[in-house]
Amino acid sequence: MTSPPVTGPAAVPEHRGGPGPARFRPRRATPAGTTARPRRRGLLSYWRQYLAISPFYLIFAAFSFFPVFYSLYLAFQRWDGLGDMQFVGLQQFRFLWSDPVFWLSIRNTLVIWVLSTVPTLLGALVLATLLHSVRRFKGFYRIALYVPNVTSIVAVAIFFGAVFSNNFGLVNAILGTVGISPVPWLSNPWLIKVVISLLMTWMWTGYNMIIYLAGLQAIPTSIYEAAKMDGAGPVRTFFQITVPIMRPIILFTVIISTINGLQSFSEPQVLFANNAANANLGGPGQAGLTTLLYFYQSAFLNNDYGYGAAIVWAFFLLIIVLVAVNWRITQRGRKP
Amino acid sequence: MTTSDPTAGPTTADPTRPAPRARRLRRPKGLTAHIILMAAVLLSVFPFVWTIVMATNTTQDIYKSPPKFTFGSHLLENIRHVLNTIDFFGSMLNTVIVATVTTVLVLFIDSLAAFTFAKFDFPGRKVLFGTLLLFMMLPLQLAILPQFILMSNIGWVGMLKALVPPALANAFGIFWLRQYIENGVPDELLDAARIDGAGFFRQYWNIALPMIRPALSFLAIYAFVGAWNDYVWPLIVLTNPDHVTLQVELAQLNVGHTTDYSMVMAGVLMASLPLVLVFAIFARGFIAGATEGAVQGT
Amino acid sequence: MDLSRRGFLQAAALTAAASGLTVACGGSGSGGTKNGKNLTLWYWGGALSDKVVAEAKTHFSGSVKLTAASIGGDFKQKLTTTLAAGGSSVPDITGIKGEDIASFLPNASRFLDLNDLGFKKLSSQYLGWKTKLAQTSDGKQIGFPIDIGPTALFYREDLFAKAGVATDPAKVAALVTTWDDYFTLGTELQKKNPGTFLVNNIGSVFDMTVGQGTQRFIDKNNHFIGDQDHIRAAWTTSVRPYTLGLDAKINDNSWNAAVGKNLLTELGAAWHALDIEQAAPQTKGKWRVCAMPVGPANQGGSYLALPKQCRNPEEAFKIISWILSPANDARGFTDAAIFPAAPAAYTMPAMTGPDAFFGGQKIIEVFGPAAKAVPDSYEAPADAAVMAPYKTELTNIEAKGKKPDDAWKDAVSQAKQIARRQGVN
Repeated sequence: MTSPPVTGPAAVPEHRGGPGPARFRPRRATPAGTTARPRRRGLLSYWRQYLAISPFYLIFAAFSFFPVFYSLYLAFQRWDGLGDMQFVGLQQFRFLWSDPVFWLSIRNTLVIWVLSTVPTLLGALVLATLLHSVRRFKGFYRIALYVPNVTSIVAVAIFFGAVFSNNFGLVNAILGTVGISPVPWLSNPWLIKVVISLLMTWMWTGYNMIIYLAGLQAIPTSIYEAAKMDGAGPVRTFFQITVPIMRPIILFTVIISTINGLQSFSEPQVLFANNAANANLGGPGQAGLTTLLYFYQSAFLNNDYGYGAAIVWAFFLLIIVLVAVNWRITQRGRKP
Repeated sequence: MTTSDPTAGPTTADPTRPAPRARRLRRPKGLTAHIILMAAVLLSVFPFVWTIVMATNTTQDIYKSPPKFTFGSHLLENIRHVLNTIDFFGSMLNTVIVATVTTVLVLFIDSLAAFTFAKFDFPGRKVLFGTLLLFMMLPLQLAILPQFILMSNIGWVGMLKALVPPALANAFGIFWLRQYIENGVPDELLDAARIDGAGFFRQYWNIALPMIRPALSFLAIYAFVGAWNDYVWPLIVLTNPDHVTLQVELAQLNVGHTTDYSMVMAGVLMASLPLVLVFAIFARGFIAGATEGAVQGT
Repeated sequence: MDLSRRGFLQAAALTAAASGLTVACGGSGSGGTKNGKNLTLWYWGGALSDKVVAEAKTHFSGSVKLTAASIGGDFKQKLTTTLAAGGSSVPDITGIKGEDIASFLPNASRFLDLNDLGFKKLSSQYLGWKTKLAQTSDGKQIGFPIDIGPTALFYREDLFAKAGVATDPAKVAALVTTWDDYFTLGTELQKKNPGTFLVNNIGSVFDMTVGQGTQRFIDKNNHFIGDQDHIRAAWTTSVRPYTLGLDAKINDNSWNAAVGKNLLTELGAAWHALDIEQAAPQTKGKWRVCAMPVGPANQGGSYLALPKQCRNPEEAFKIISWILSPANDARGFTDAAIFPAAPAAYTMPAMTGPDAFFGGQKIIEVFGPAAKAVPDSYEAPADAAVMAPYKTELTNIEAKGKKPDDAWKDAVSQAKQIARRQGVN
């Protein structure tokens, strides 16, 4: 995402290779391998930079790096959380391979991710474009559309649970008034995923819209004026000008949404909290059982911490593979 | 500035700054846009309205089919039930404290690191930033148990401060700010400052920070809301019932078969409204900042 | 790979120190004096009578200061993580839910043996089967019984009357001595009350039919027996109401709305009475209770335990035996619908009164005998985890229309895998 554009006046040649230790990163200069690259001198001369990033990395080391690798260690153990650990090698991963619930949870996660990310990003892009085009009530729209994102998942999940309830929910009551018999929103395996996805879409569309809006507003209007003079309609302008220019920012939101979407956990957990029994985690038919929820169930409810760690690590590797494949495809598509 | 990376919203001096688009205003297309936007607003605001409807009625009204569609008169009674069931104000105060401290620290730590990554080169820069991106994809839940053990070792279990460090280890802020600084803070300005003898930290404090204020506002909202709404980690680490946060208390209302829905909804309302109101009051500036360049609607 | 957990903890502490955080008191060192004056008690809302707990505070204020904390969220998870972390955040007295007690038994060394503190002398006052469930195979007693959940059949007297069948508890009980009788009666009731159902979901029937037996999913030799006849029979019985159309298939939050409307009966423990009462106050006086088909099972019912770190075991034991004395236990029934584990309480006035919600029926006459008749069964540490797939598959039958035989096969194979994962052979 940081591919340096070739144009731009920002390079500051007189400082390349200069004596100052805290040098500018000549990001618009010639590619690596030339004089632009700082020579490796004493690391100490960069102490200011290291000091500046150190607070984050120290906390990061203690609260992300260490815990994550500790959990990798756990994935090779059998541990109930209290007793002694027992090294079991790859056994947890072998169990994982033949565990249908694990694969079901992966399918659920991916389906929920697609069902929520696609409408969220499309909706956000359309809304941002519309919002960019209007003049009146802009401030009002921005706030009203962003507001879902400042609510808590707990509150929203409770709300959705009430509105989509099979027996007393508002949605079924409204359908009932036009003669449609109650829809089993919270027991049909597909509809459960739809409800969870709706919930996530509702929460995140406004947020992505704001990010898109920021991008749109940085596009000089002269480009649009030129397009208009060429006789391009709004739809063509959207696809041929807006979308290509917005490409990096769209990629940014796709990455963020992927990370958030694949980590869905609280939504199904709170939505089905009423069925506290182990068996029903994730709702009827485990249709709302996401991978992270399965991890939580295995580790914290079944006291199987080693298996829980194996679940998350296997899932993480799977994401990496997905991202890598995705990356290859987009990179290839980019070249002529 | 180039236009290849539009995340840098607020370019300082864009000669092509949009002229007022008066022509567009009177076209019927604007009306369609307003209709669609209004529909979207209705969808995003409706849950708040319906929550109020449920919170002002009794549970029996909610269970009726069809349910009662109008506002009722039981709000105070439901609020009283909430206050009797959970320590609402105490937990809210805790939440405010935690969210504020977290936000201030996130803004400082992330902007400093983002500034360094965006504008300076130093050995290990790529590797360090790459690690950060990679770890952004790791599920946080992975870290919960070791984090708990860690907290226990430093004696912070059950204390509010245990909520802060894990929230600081979130890479999103650096990712977002670095993107913004790279394009939003011109190298020439920093260069000029350095010629004037400004050191590293003065360049950060006097030049970069003021220029990225809009991006900081957005991150502030993001961090504050995130801290306010955090649920899983507080649920686990806050073992002392005198020190719990609002979300944990809220989830307490919704357990078991015997759900008093109107009471739960009153709780949901009480927990969401402050944040929404604060947001609505201050957000005008914040969001306008994040999307700077907007022609302010009247 | 022989890194000890201690080693990792030290690594953790080091990392924390490196990050400039204050390293306060380390995790381990609470040993030494065992006559602390400040004791903490962890329980969850409704586990104990709040009034009795408050009285305990003043009653023992001469010797110790008792701080009681009602812990929210997933109690077992919180207790496990806190025990694993150790240190001063571990409570001196803690509640343990009945469904979780078995999973704590392998780590009995984390708790004090109550027999050492004098439980032996008191144990005869409490129901033997309940006490045994909190005992290790070598006789360590880690849990002091608080309450139990003897089950019975709750039914709608008015709807029974409408269908022209007997309404008197003794007569209804006589009508439904077997599960088959119960389902036959259900079909008849449903004909006269269109749109109603006999059971809320078939998972709840499975809970009962499994609980009525003396064996569950894993036997005492740590063998998986979830594919044997007793479980198969329980499964077949549970699926019957589904095939007969008597199943309301409620697996979401709409139970509350349904219970006052279209449910003819509820199978549930004594504490379930309060659920019904709160969910459907408008049905006051219309419900009755009678003995469950075949016989009672137990559902839930908790314990108090003393973690090893307890700062004053003698005093703590005095406190729990006071809180759980039959007389105070009986008050728990009045205050929080906690059904005492001490049979002596069943004849106390607090429990023998008529219940207006049940039309003035003295429900102790049903639950008292049920409590004593609960079968003595063995519950292995992994039992709850192994049972989960059966209930999931039962829900699959209801939600997806999955064929019961396929569901059974999947349930067994998944249960076997979970059992293996948990070290069952």
